[in-house]
Amino acid sequence: MSISYIARRASQKEKVRILYRRALKDTLNWAVHRHLFYQDASDLRERFEANKHVEDIDTIDRMIADAEAHYNKFRHPDPYIVPWAPGGSKFTRNPTPPSGIEIVYNYGREDND
Amino acid sequence: MQNIIRNTLLSHLRLGNHTWQRKMCASSKSNDSSKMLLDRVVGLVKKFDRIDAKMVTETADFQKDLSLDSLDRVELVMAFEEEFAMEIPEEEADKLTCCADVAKYIASGDKGKITEDSL
Repeated sequence: MSISYIARRASQKEKVRILYRRALKDTLNWAVHRHLFYQDASDLRERFEANKHVEDIDTIDRMIADAEAHYNKFRHPDPYIVPWAPGGSKFTRNPTPPSGIEIVYNYGREDND
Repeated sequence: MQNIIRNTLLSHLRLGNHTWQRKMCASSKSNDSSKMLLDRVVGLVKKFDRIDAKMVTETADFQKDLSLDSLDRVELVMAFEEEFAMEIPEEEADKLTCCADVAKYIASGDKGKITEDSL
């Protein structure tokens, strides 16, 4: 158990986590209905779980590379983006006014009206 | 006669409107909103199917106390993202270990969004 082995394992764990996150989001992008997504998501989870107990470090590396290539091949061309996030449909639309600017709600009305 | 009815009706409406506005302002300014946020987070975590709902508390650690593995936590973070319509970056998602953390992060994210928009 050298330090390099532990470091490599940690980086592999992180890679798998990020890959799973991206793949799960992409699954949601491809699913047109929610009930289709549930089945696809559990299938995806099973594919990850199937290789849970693989110990050989080089095999894991190869599997991660394969899975990333597979993910890149089937990536959605127009993924869902949260409306307020960069690239979303509401990004920088109708922003709140800067602080220090007061909105006059009784516009056009006189004080002694 | 018509005028009287109209005026009473309008005054009632206006009164209703005012109280409603005051309530909205109060809830957004006081501690109420953070409490509500935390309740929403805890409710969401309780609904997660791999978690025992009785074990969920505000400070229960997802990994240690609720025995989730790393992939479960990814799914949980995705559930939070969908519920609160926000994007949680991967490095931030790692730091969220309990419900209180998540509520704090969401509250800070909202503030960040407002200041970002106001620039």
